[in-house]
Amino acid sequence: MTAVTTVPTVTTVTTPLTPGPVRPRRRQLRAALLVLPAVIPVAIVVIGGVGTTVLQSLGLMPLVGAAQLSTAAFDDTDELLTSALLSLSIAVVSTAIAAVVGFFSAVLIISGNWGGRIVAVLGAAAVTVPHLVGAATVGLLLSDSGVLARLFGISPDAWPALVAGPTWFAVVAEYAWKESAFIALIIVGTLATRITSYDEAAAVLGAHRPARLRLVLFPLAAPSLLVASAIAFAYTLGSYEVAWMLGTTYPEPLSVMALRLFNSASLTARPEAAAIGVITVVLTAAVVGVAMLGLRRMRAWR
Amino acid sequence: MTLSTSNVDVERAQREQHERRMPGDAGRPLSQSRGVMRTARIVSTALVALWFALPFLPLVLWSFANSWSAPDLLPMSVGTDGLTAAIANGAVAAFGDSLLLSLIVAAIATPVGAMAARALSRHRLPFGRLVSVLLFSPVLLPPFAAVLGINVVLLRAWVPPELGVTLVLVVVAIPYTTFSMRVAYAAYDDGFDEAARTLGATSRFALWRIHLPLIAPALARSAFLAFLVGWSDYLVTLVVGGGQLVTLPLIIASSASGIGNESSVAVLSLSAVIPPLILLGFVSRARNLNPGRQ
Repeated sequence: MTAVTTVPTVTTVTTPLTPGPVRPRRRQLRAALLVLPAVIPVAIVVIGGVGTTVLQSLGLMPLVGAAQLSTAAFDDTDELLTSALLSLSIAVVSTAIAAVVGFFSAVLIISGNWGGRIVAVLGAAAVTVPHLVGAATVGLLLSDSGVLARLFGISPDAWPALVAGPTWFAVVAEYAWKESAFIALIIVGTLATRITSYDEAAAVLGAHRPARLRLVLFPLAAPSLLVASAIAFAYTLGSYEVAWMLGTTYPEPLSVMALRLFNSASLTARPEAAAIGVITVVLTAAVVGVAMLGLRRMRAWR
Repeated sequence: MTLSTSNVDVERAQREQHERRMPGDAGRPLSQSRGVMRTARIVSTALVALWFALPFLPLVLWSFANSWSAPDLLPMSVGTDGLTAAIANGAVAAFGDSLLLSLIVAAIATPVGAMAARALSRHRLPFGRLVSVLLFSPVLLPPFAAVLGINVVLLRAWVPPELGVTLVLVVVAIPYTTFSMRVAYAAYDDGFDEAARTLGATSRFALWRIHLPLIAPALARSAFLAFLVGWSDYLVTLVVGGGQLVTLPLIIASSASGIGNESSVAVLSLSAVIPPLILLGFVSRARNLNPGRQ
């Protein structure tokens, strides 16, 4: 008899206790209530923001006058193409440099030497620096009377126009600096423990350093390298303040042109600014989509 | 005599045990480089360290330079003129506003992100994948494209600029808090909550005394990321704030666009770099308290 009475208590303990005897429907409701405080503001800003930008670009939300559907804001194709190509090249070059430097920094950090620890601390410090401050300090570093020019003892006339010059060198350098630190920390954060054990296994089996780098470290780091690079690329494409501070006035990247038109007095300029916003969203979505396809192939391959 | 030597030996043994690396630890002697490769590693480490450190150099040099004309390698006279000029530009008020804004953004985005991560981690949410994609989307969205649109919406809805800036920055921070808390919840053991409830704790008690202390380090990391979003923002504060909210980045931008303000720009930049570094120090010291993982 006593054994029979203890059985029910045992069964109640084995069922998950925290939610109690709740039906699946109520659990779903609870989960939905937990997620709503995040979903509502994000939906307002993302869907509301992008939706309004699209409507504005099509002339459906004019500041004054009647709404009329038109694609006039997209008409200046030469200008838009120049800006889009400039933005894309800045983003491609800086992300490529950031990915290479970030990957090798991550390898150095994971190796766990004291040098790696110094790199980890400096990288973490670089991640916390606001991009605007990064732009200000890169300007102080690379301008014709900047710290580097003084360090090398080159007179301002002989120093190349790195800041506000035709090469966009300072802009690319700032993005590459900040995003390489970001990419390195993402790789280290996701793979630090797993990578060392595989690396050691390969070393035991006689793999040389270059072989381990190519066949062990790189394939293991590749998915997070891809994700981090895609995020860095999207950020660089849509970022404003660095290109505005360190770039030339013409040609302009997409974001700088959009903000200039947005702040201008002309009434036709608002739809044009919004059109640039739409183009940037589409470009970002395309690049991120390609990156996600690449990630899926990587997962399938693994 | 014998006592002291044995003491030394014990200390050395303890030190060796402390330094002994375990399998899977970083920096195993097995994968350590030697000879030429060692030199290559040291050189590349130095180059990468220089790459990350070099942009901090002008901030330090210019911050304390009263006058420093072009060909000179080091500042000609050292002083606090930069600091004086920065304070005259309203640096103190801007610093306070930046700090307040970032703390508010962190205080809202962290619990909201943690709750969303909790709901997503248990796989009971209808349309869970769609919600994940939506919550991650602000990271990939070009800020200026969203800001140009949302600005119109907020203006037509008569939302005060300070509230609008906070709303947009919370949205930008939510992906970071949600996904760092998801990583934490993936490793979280519900058994502790369940054990507390079995022992008679109310759900409120279990939340405050068991659940929150266990996830506190992850919450601190999330809050740090959200703080960084508010602290680094320039564009949202500029466009949505409409001049009502003057934060540190806005003052830095206006000083940097002038000529001859190098030392004041450097002081302002340095004051924008230091607070996150202090917070980073605190956050990276926060130990993982999860007893299940020890």
